[in-house]
Amino acid sequence: MNAAQRREPGTVPRTFAVVQAIALNTFREAIRDRVLYLLLVFAILLIAVSRLLSLLTVGSEVKIIKDVGLSAISLFGVLTAVFVGVSLVFKEIERRTVYTLLANPVRRWQFVVGKFIGLLTVLSLNVLIMFLVLAAVLLVYGESPWPLLPALCLIVVELGIVTAFALLFSCVTNPILAAVWTFAVYVSGHLSWSLLLLREKIPTAAGRALSDLFYWLLPNLELLNIKAEVVHQLPLSSGRVPLAILYGVSYTIIVLVVACYAFERKDFI
Amino acid sequence: MRRVWVVLLLIACTATAVSSARGLGRIVEVDRGADELLYLPNGKFLKVASLGQAPVLADLIYIWAIQFYSDYARDDRFRYVRHVFSDVIAELDPHYIDAYWLGAMILIVEDGDLEGGLALLDQGFAANPDKWILPYLAAWECWLADQHERAAEYFELAAAIPQAPTGVRRMRAAMVARSGDLEASLRLWQEILDDPGTDPTSVKIAERKIRGLTVRIHQRDLRAAIERFRIDNSRYPESLAELHRVGYIRFIPRRPDGTDYDYDPTSGQISGPRGRILGDSG
Repeated sequence: MNAAQRREPGTVPRTFAVVQAIALNTFREAIRDRVLYLLLVFAILLIAVSRLLSLLTVGSEVKIIKDVGLSAISLFGVLTAVFVGVSLVFKEIERRTVYTLLANPVRRWQFVVGKFIGLLTVLSLNVLIMFLVLAAVLLVYGESPWPLLPALCLIVVELGIVTAFALLFSCVTNPILAAVWTFAVYVSGHLSWSLLLLREKIPTAAGRALSDLFYWLLPNLELLNIKAEVVHQLPLSSGRVPLAILYGVSYTIIVLVVACYAFERKDFI
Repeated sequence: MRRVWVVLLLIACTATAVSSARGLGRIVEVDRGADELLYLPNGKFLKVASLGQAPVLADLIYIWAIQFYSDYARDDRFRYVRHVFSDVIAELDPHYIDAYWLGAMILIVEDGDLEGGLALLDQGFAANPDKWILPYLAAWECWLADQHERAAEYFELAAAIPQAPTGVRRMRAAMVARSGDLEASLRLWQEILDDPGTDPTSVKIAERKIRGLTVRIHQRDLRAAIERFRIDNSRYPESLAELHRVGYIRFIPRRPDGTDYDYDPTSGQISGPRGRILGDSG
């Protein structure tokens, strides 16, 4: 028995080891679910787009490849996050593997956090590989892919928020409803700025307060969207990307805490 | 036997589906006019619906617009060009430079709508004040339409952008000369010549233009003075020296190479070999 194993349960290294084990298991499970096949679809899509463009467009080929590449990375990531995320906890309950797992010295929040980290690792790997394909296509066109990196970074942050919501809903309902709710959050997250416009039109103070509440409650995913800026290589304010990362990480942690709380209160019997 | 029937049924259904789809396609093609573009929502609304994917939506509409406006079979295809490029694509992606110039080219070259094309280029320049290419293209279109003063204004806008190549400044100076203001053009060419950053080719062009403009200004002033002299004295002056002596000109101008202008007292004409004036003869 080594020193780490001799430590008392509940200490930091042990907590980390438990989370790591669950994350690793989630990662393997996602790979077994053939999630990485999406990468093949992405590669084919991007190569086909780049070939088709020379026939269909006048100029702008590189711009369109960048747009399609970044959008596909984002959308494939969201689809993976939703469809894998919503069944993460539900599947464990349905197969009753969660009983075996929680019978061990594993805290419920460690289970949720482990699941989250595992899925986010898969998503990050997906994003990285898709970016490499995009980079290869851009290099063929003699274009540097590196200016796209800040947008890619914020796509991962956005996927973190979506994954956290998928996990939260997975803890409280069945996969179909969880998928619908997660998509609803994704859609409203990209439209939350319109609540500010709505606020101006509402005559009552209560209505305006409600509008404000929803504005701050929902994630503002447009804050993480700098795809147009990086494609056109527009100057970004110095604090924009770090602040966006800070916002996204903080929001993810809040949702994860709520997910952990929901899972702690869940009655499996 | 049953399999054969199933296969036959599938073949029959496929043939029916394909032929009806073709027939429908022809009917739809006839029914469809440019009016369908009227219902293309404004980019502001599409942007909301795109859920953060506005640039790629702009790309799709841009590619579709290229196919649509390349279809010469449609007589009414130009009815909503401004709507598609200005209200939809430019709203979805205000930094889509190719969409501005392509839309402007369709409007000006294909549809003959110069004002519409210039408005689209203006819109693009307002959204992208560092893109000299947009006022540059507008200037060319004005030039082709013989609107030299307007062209000079657009070239001035383009030349004011630090990233603009020297060629834009040269075009501006040339256009100012075409609009009739020779002195202003001379000043602009002199500025190009005096700029230490000017490339050697532009320096040579500027020197040549300065010589040419100097001659044109001298000849214009001399002709005006000779004409005034003729009206006052009912004859042409004997020489340019007489013109100077009686106060019609403040000094006797010389060619850039230091030689005197050729003056014919019988016709009152000022002339000189073009090659010598421009320094082309070596």
